[in-house]
Amino acid sequence: MLKLPQSSTDRKHFMIVGALVVVTTIILGFFLLAILPIKAQASVQAEPIRWLFQLHLWLIAFLFSLVVVFMLYSLLVFRRRKGDTSEGEHFEGNTVLEIVWTVVPLVLVVIFSVIGLRTLQQATSGGDDVQVEAVGFQWSWTFNYPNGVTSAEMVLPVDKPALISLRSNDVIHSFWVAEWGPKQDLVPGMTTTLHITPSKVGEFSLACAELCGLSHWSMLAKIRVVPEDEYTAWMDEKLAAQNLQTASR
Amino acid sequence: MRLTSLGVVRGLVGYFAGMLIGMAVVVISRLVLGMSAWDQEAVWVGGIIFSIIGFLLGVGAMSDWLKWTRGVQTPLRHGPPVNQPAWTRYFGVDYNHKVIGIQYGVTAFMLLVVGGSFALIFRSELADSGITFLQPGTYNTVLSMHGWVALAAILLGIAGIANYLVPLMIGAEDMAFPRLNAFAYWLNVPAIVTLLISMLFGWDSGWTAYPPLSLRGPVGYQMVFWAIFGIGLSSILGSLNLIVTMLLMRPKGMTLFRMPILCWAILATSIIQLTATQLIGQAFLMLSFERTLGMPLFNPIYNAAGENIGGQPILFQHLFWFYSHPAVYVFVLPGLGIISELLPVFSRKPLFGYRWVALSSLAIALVGFLVWGHHMFTSGYQPYLRVVFMISTLLVAVPTGVKFFSWLGTLWGGRLTFQTPMLFTLGAISVFLIGGLSGPILATAATDLFLHDTYFIVGHFHATIFGGFVFPFFAAIYYWYPKITGRMYNETMGKLHFWLMTPGFWLMSLAQMTAGTMGMRRRIADYDPALGVENVQLLVTIAGFVIAFSILIMIYNLFTSAEVGVLAGNNPWRSRSPEWQIPSPAPEHSYARPITVVGEPYDYGLAGSTYIATAGAGDD
Amino acid sequence: MAAVTTSAQAAALHPHDAHAGHDHYAAQLRMNRLGLWLFFISEGFLFGGLLTVRFFLWGADTRPELDQTIGLIVTSVLLISSVSMRLAETAMERGNRKAFSVFILLTALFGLIFLGGVMVFEWGLFPSLYPAHLTPWGDKYGAVVFAMTGMHALHVISGIIFILIVWNLARKGNFSQERHWGVESCAIYWHYVDVVWIFFYPALYLIGNAVHVTH
Repeated sequence: MLKLPQSSTDRKHFMIVGALVVVTTIILGFFLLAILPIKAQASVQAEPIRWLFQLHLWLIAFLFSLVVVFMLYSLLVFRRRKGDTSEGEHFEGNTVLEIVWTVVPLVLVVIFSVIGLRTLQQATSGGDDVQVEAVGFQWSWTFNYPNGVTSAEMVLPVDKPALISLRSNDVIHSFWVAEWGPKQDLVPGMTTTLHITPSKVGEFSLACAELCGLSHWSMLAKIRVVPEDEYTAWMDEKLAAQNLQTASR
Repeated sequence: MRLTSLGVVRGLVGYFAGMLIGMAVVVISRLVLGMSAWDQEAVWVGGIIFSIIGFLLGVGAMSDWLKWTRGVQTPLRHGPPVNQPAWTRYFGVDYNHKVIGIQYGVTAFMLLVVGGSFALIFRSELADSGITFLQPGTYNTVLSMHGWVALAAILLGIAGIANYLVPLMIGAEDMAFPRLNAFAYWLNVPAIVTLLISMLFGWDSGWTAYPPLSLRGPVGYQMVFWAIFGIGLSSILGSLNLIVTMLLMRPKGMTLFRMPILCWAILATSIIQLTATQLIGQAFLMLSFERTLGMPLFNPIYNAAGENIGGQPILFQHLFWFYSHPAVYVFVLPGLGIISELLPVFSRKPLFGYRWVALSSLAIALVGFLVWGHHMFTSGYQPYLRVVFMISTLLVAVPTGVKFFSWLGTLWGGRLTFQTPMLFTLGAISVFLIGGLSGPILATAATDLFLHDTYFIVGHFHATIFGGFVFPFFAAIYYWYPKITGRMYNETMGKLHFWLMTPGFWLMSLAQMTAGTMGMRRRIADYDPALGVENVQLLVTIAGFVIAFSILIMIYNLFTSAEVGVLAGNNPWRSRSPEWQIPSPAPEHSYARPITVVGEPYDYGLAGSTYIATAGAGDD
Repeated sequence: MAAVTTSAQAAALHPHDAHAGHDHYAAQLRMNRLGLWLFFISEGFLFGGLLTVRFFLWGADTRPELDQTIGLIVTSVLLISSVSMRLAETAMERGNRKAFSVFILLTALFGLIFLGGVMVFEWGLFPSLYPAHLTPWGDKYGAVVFAMTGMHALHVISGIIFILIVWNLARKGNFSQERHWGVESCAIYWHYVDVVWIFFYPALYLIGNAVHVTH
């Protein structure tokens, strides 16, 4: 069994804690990655979000380990033994340490501000090859394409940058497809936009993410991301059906 | 003893009488002005305003002031009521800060139980997918009520701690303005009654009450607006009182940097409460007026040309979060102060870096004024604001980190003992760590665009509030229980409470965050089983019930120990703080002689040092 | 609020002290003053919030068409009322009760004129006297004008009530040359309400170009 030094400022304590912090950081990091499986992975804009999220998890794993290992180590090593009536060691603080743990986080803040800025740019930019207007209302969605096509489901071609304009006439809603990553509110009185470049073919669920009244929970719509030829075919079909309808009126 | 001798009974009579009078006033004035007699919104607003005034008049919270306006002198009497059982003083206006502190604390605890019960109701609904027993309308109301009732509980809990402890800790006889203190407490009671009545009518926007939704729903919203206005006004007046008390009533020798550290936390909290609270009061008043008079402040209206000549919904969010984000620091700073206060006592060591801990509270409070927009990353405001608020929000991590590291420095090399208050303090650190570390991930705007309005947020802020308020509040209750009742709580039950609640809470937080990353939105009455979060949701619900059960143990413990607990003596914790140098329970007049401060507050382990000295009987 | 505390209350706060006389009045006065100023800081956020609303909704370049003459008149009246309030306070400090009564009632009268001006001409409460040109429900201009002037008027009304109470107490001989916190607080409060208007007046009447809203 390891013999621990008497003085709390002995270097041996810090070496043990340091080693434990490294080990727990690794274990905790993988644990967090496992229990926090971020769903954003089906669009170009989701990639930076996912990357930054996982970077954060490693930082969290490190900081959590740092504090908790120090704490648990103190609880075990510096607990009052039976029969001991002495007081703790008297030290009131250490200015150098205080400055260190003010400046180091400050540096981290600067680094994360820069990273945050870059990822924000990546997650909110894109082209407008495809344009759709999504209109939210209590408690459903409609999608309008520039060519006049109106649909209750949103169909987008894969790998084409889409610009989605968002509009609401009643209350605030929020446009969110979890797999795509970012969400954006629909605010009455203004038009907001969202850049999405779908990178995976499939069916997704669009959900309103801002409490909007009675049936907010069920304010969903189907999103289909399809290969481009399929998209063109769908659009033609829709257009034809709609023209037929107009003509018959 | 007659029932009407209880202030609260008179107050309730005044409340309902006031409501009828207020409604009648509105109906009559509408008739005089040639309008239709009945307008639901206007009539209720009149009823609510008059009912709150009616309660305050009935309970007698303004009696002395009204006498002053007529030139009648009213000496400030301290002491139990005459010709009545002593317990009745807790049910009426009493000017002793310790009585008011208990009133605040007990009311807060009751609200915490009510708010928690709301949570259990909708947690049961969410344990499984599919709508089972709560219809979406009721679900939304219960969920919204959970928010405000729990927040009211926290505000009152903090006021309780501050009222009871601040004068004791600085050796003052009472607060600077005892009548204002009582008024501020009693203002909460009709506000809470109004808030509870709102449930009968329903409201469904969540506690944030974003317009236009909150402009459309049932009339229950009006009650919420005015109830929160009342609680907000109370919190402004209470914080004003605390600031004056701490700045001007400290004893000789107690410089600001020799105050017990909790006072620093309360000072920082009070600065926020004094100022920022006005903005939510104003925002809710504007909502009420928009509903009642149709003033287009938040709801857009269009002219013939299609231009918006009305309001903007985002304006409300700015006003709301300008208070409601700093409010988070109002909720947690006192809790962090309690952690800093208790750690030295149970480590038998000085607080590591007292000045840094003290100033970090102020720093958090001041930075807190600049970060409100991080709640609005998805709101559609100017995109550059995202960057501004991202950076300001990340800055909060710096002073918060100082606190954590200072706590570790305090533990390091101590002689630690693990009674219940210490356990809850350590539990608070662990839980607040979860809440704090999940903060930056929401501060960097890109990740927030995904996580906003998901269960990840729910997990984050519950960890923050539990770590920053609930755990320290429980630690404080166990720690100061002997000073309040004169007896010790039951240690075994205390430890059982801790060992049920803490793992339960860790589990709940992590499971909520997991659900969020898997795509579970917050505030939904039902979810798609295809999300795959059913097991996680069940786990959250079970953990919630475990926490609730552990709190029942606490309530039982506190009730029974007041009768059968071991006599505590003056200072069971061997603390250096002034309040432990006087008898337990604390006497009516706390300090028989004025105290002076002759040393540092946390010099544990320094031979021969004392913090305070009491003036001898001879000198003055 | 920290209203009229007398030495009796100050003494009652510290029942254990033998000499609860002048010292404690001074101590209580210090607390009252700090309390009142903290209250003003708090209220500053309320009025600041209203100014924010004005600039958020109107921008810096528009304002409604309000009657400039009326605006100038009521503003002048309110500013003059601060002078008369100062004269009343000075009279109290010199022990001149008669002058105090005259000046403080004059202040209340100016306050009422201000209030009347706002209600009749800006709000158009009495269309038979002066036609209403703005309504609170019409558009964002009406809504903000009513919100700002309404909140300010509420403070003027409470100030007038405060003045009447203080005047009545003075009449009964409740204040002395040395001890008149009631008068002092009333005066500071009145000046504060004035200062708020000094910020509101340009925000409502001067900044930006007057626009005519088509409905």
